Amino acid sequence: MEPNLDELIICRRCETLQKRVELPKKKVAKCIECNEVLYRNIEDSFNKGLAFSITSLILFIIANSFPIITVLITGQINALTIPSMIYSLYNEDFFVVGSIVLVVLVIAPLSVMLSYIIVGVFIKLKIFKSLTRHLIAFLVISKSWEMIDIFTVSILVALVKLFGYAEIHFGLSAVALVLFVIVDIFVLKNIKPVELWTYYSREYCG
Amino acid sequence: MKNRYISCKICESVNLKRDGEIYCRVCKNRITQSKSNSLNSAWAMLITAILFYIIANVYPILVIDKFGIISSNTILEGVIVLWEEGSYPIAIIIFIASVFVPLLKFFLILYILINYKKPRVGSRKMDQSKLYHITEIIGPWSMVDVFVVSILAGVVHVGSVKITAGVGATAFVLMVFFTMLSAMSIDIRLIKEGKDSD
Ligand SMILES: [Zn+2]
Ligand SMILES: [Zn+2]
Repeated sequence: MEPNLDELIICRRCETLQKRVELPKKKVAKCIECNEVLYRNIEDSFNKGLAFSITSLILFIIANSFPIITVLITGQINALTIPSMIYSLYNEDFFVVGSIVLVVLVIAPLSVMLSYIIVGVFIKLKIFKSLTRHLIAFLVISKSWEMIDIFTVSILVALVKLFGYAEIHFGLSAVALVLFVIVDIFVLKNIKPVELWTYYSREYCG
Repeated sequence: MKNRYISCKICESVNLKRDGEIYCRVCKNRITQSKSNSLNSAWAMLITAILFYIIANVYPILVIDKFGIISSNTILEGVIVLWEEGSYPIAIIIFIASVFVPLLKFFLILYILINYKKPRVGSRKMDQSKLYHITEIIGPWSMVDVFVVSILAGVVHVGSVKITAGVGATAFVLMVFFTMLSAMSIDIRLIKEGKDSD
């Protein structure tokens, strides 16, 4: 007899084929081979993902609106924001670097958060099925191009290089950025595509 | 039994395997390219990436204009300067992220591309896919140096000292970009398929 494909899952890390089970609240399903978390309770993770997408969007807007650090060097005060950094790359004719930085630090994270929020609203209202399908696929692809966490570590490295030559002050956005990275690592980077699609299939079809 | 199923990268749903291109039954995205297409594009991206890696190491990634005197650093020179200044941990981070990780990814992708058709022992194949996942996670960290240069250029650009990015930075981001594309076009499942057909 042909098994129902919806009842199967292949581990994303070790490719082991296994059976899916219906999870009670607060429970997670792990791979029998490599212990990778395969999926969590769909309701839990979807609501959590939606709430944290909105939170992280607010943090992201704050982090980009005010200086992350201000640097006093040779009598000049300069403030660092992600937009001003990208602007000065374009200004110095580094279009390729500027564009890739724009994608990985602005477009990709915004795509993940906005897609999640829009998908959440559409699925809950059960409207725009095919647009939702494209948006979820877009979200999954955008997720692997988002590099705010790496950028935040880079700020620390840059500070070490500036140390001794310049006076450095942290701005309000530094706090917002760190909070964003925490939400990003624990929630956004942790989005399991299979959960979104299961929710999608169940709400629109089931 | 196992090789009858294939999972979709976009939605992780299980699909039945058959010859030729397969479109996912849930999200409708293409799951497999024909194998030769995916190998060809992986090779093309890899060679492009290696070329950009060489350029990125030859040309300066950072240009400093101090009171009109212009000096520049390549990636390795930057690491050496940091080391001589005593910033050992940072020198090591930059060296691993900018020099070692890209090389590791090149060798791994090369290894997979050269060997994927040959039958191999199960345990070695397991190591290979584990290694692939590790480089997939650490790969984007190569961007650290580019971000550092962008930050420095962003905050030190007026007055008597001026820092700008160098040509090496452009080559370097292109290298990262093409390495990621190359890794994405190799299907990790090709490794598994080799095993199934043993
Ligand atoms: Zn597993
Ligand atoms: Zn799919």
